[in-house]
Amino acid sequence: MMRRLGQNLLSGYSLLFFVFLYLPIGLIFVYSFNGNPLNMMIWGGFSLDWYRSIFGMANSLADNVQYIESTDQLLGSLRTSLSVALITALISTVIGTLTALALARFRFRLQGFYRMLLFMPMMMPDVVLGISLLIFFVNIGIPLGKVSIIIGHCSFLVSYVFIVVSARLAGMDTRLEEASADLGANPWYTFRRITLPMILPGVIGGALLSFIISMDDLVITYFISGVDSTTLPVYIYGMIRRGIKPEINAIATLLILASLLIAAVGLYLRNRQPAALKAEDSHGS
Amino acid sequence: MSGLTLQGRNRLRLFGLLSPVTLLIGGFFVAPLLIMAAYSLAEPGMYGGVEWNFYPDSFGRVLGWADGSNEEFDIVYLEIILRSFRIALLTVLVSLLVCYPVAFWVSRLDARKRNFFLFLITLPFFASLIVRLYAWVLILRPSGFLNQFLHHLGINAELDLIYSETAVLIGLVYIFIPFMFLPIYASVEKLDRRLIEASQDLGASRWQTFRKVILPLTMPGVAAGSIIVFIPSLGNFIVPSLLGGAKVLMIGSLVEQQFLAARNWPFGAALAMLLMASVLVFLLLYVRSLSRAEALEGRP
Repeated sequence: MMRRLGQNLLSGYSLLFFVFLYLPIGLIFVYSFNGNPLNMMIWGGFSLDWYRSIFGMANSLADNVQYIESTDQLLGSLRTSLSVALITALISTVIGTLTALALARFRFRLQGFYRMLLFMPMMMPDVVLGISLLIFFVNIGIPLGKVSIIIGHCSFLVSYVFIVVSARLAGMDTRLEEASADLGANPWYTFRRITLPMILPGVIGGALLSFIISMDDLVITYFISGVDSTTLPVYIYGMIRRGIKPEINAIATLLILASLLIAAVGLYLRNRQPAALKAEDSHGS
Repeated sequence: MSGLTLQGRNRLRLFGLLSPVTLLIGGFFVAPLLIMAAYSLAEPGMYGGVEWNFYPDSFGRVLGWADGSNEEFDIVYLEIILRSFRIALLTVLVSLLVCYPVAFWVSRLDARKRNFFLFLITLPFFASLIVRLYAWVLILRPSGFLNQFLHHLGINAELDLIYSETAVLIGLVYIFIPFMFLPIYASVEKLDRRLIEASQDLGASRWQTFRKVILPLTMPGVAAGSIIVFIPSLGNFIVPSLLGGAKVLMIGSLVEQQFLAARNWPFGAALAMLLMASVLVFLLLYVRSLSRAEALEGRP
């Protein structure tokens, strides 16, 4: 009897936990379709006007309730974010994968040191990373802009890729590589035909992770983005600090949908790993 | 290349694999930190620049000692640092209390449901941070969702939660909760159910079983989750800036102010050095407790 009661309490508590997790996100989603132009907290019927407004399209709202300064700025920051995240993901994935290969396939004296070195950027508070990079760029003479943002993002995202790819390498059967080498394949051929296909899910996972984190990074970018290279999170942060406007709900909803889509693809790829391995095994035999 | 021995060729390969990361982390992580350390000991210049004189007073100013810009003994910065530690510790404590029971609940579900709920917990991690915090601005402000909801229930509480320590605490718990949940869940899942049954068969009360069996066995997860949540909470400045306003400053907000508003870079760098030092101390303590736990486990 007591036990049943305890079970029910625990289930109720856990469901509340998930409500806590998803209610805030759900609220933004609902508010973004609220057609009430004066008070966005009171439901005024379904409307897509805020979405039209952020893309600069004509809508049924009067001009004086359009709060967004300029669609160009918003789209410009989105473009900056996308290009920064793409280049960052590319660079940090290549370097992170090379590093993971070095640490997994070679024995050398500085191994422990490198592990620690790669661990540090992940544990450093964002604000420390941001301002140390700011001081650095100002002193070295690299102008603040897209380039400084990309450098800043790569300097800590390489660690994330390293972790993801290392995990993949650790679970890999080294006998295939050995067999390939024994059969006379050169290291590059072995890497291209054996190692790379087997660690590919890890590499793609690392690339997606660094893309998402780069897209979403606010603190570091906040310090090292120049005047005319604002990224989307920095732009939204500025908007919120100037005041709550209904357009933010629409932008926020789109942003959440986009990142959830990427995350879903990533998780799908991760779940597919065992199948991919099996396929390779049968191919090999 | 063919003249090289096998060992020499491997060396060359290793060098090639490691040089990019060495340049990247050495040049754009280690070097900036060293320059920041140098700044923290330089003298602030008149118009936001620095004079390269040895000037340890920035660190003294944190503790409240008078310096050029602070005429009198003033512990305002010390108060902000203590508040940061208090809020970060509370964040750890609250997220621990929230996650621990849920981890047990999830671990007892059947495989399909379990995977589904684990997916639900990891998903918000991928959703934009700024958007998730913005949601709490909508909920907590005076005309926000919480007060409207209470009003619908017939309670006219008129809570003014935003721009308070409570709001900052809620925000931090909300964004860091997956980091607490996953390590705890990992150790709860590994928990051998037979040990709990054995403890109960031997007549231990439920509280005794929890304290003597369950808690020690899940401690690694609790410790890992606590450190992963504590570190980013301590240095956070986005949450206090959006949900704490000017009233609830934390170390991170102070650093930001010194760099972007007050333009006293050496003082900001000194604060950042202190933040970094505290993080390193906590990490070190954690790693030491890990190795001690391993030593204990190795004991017959």
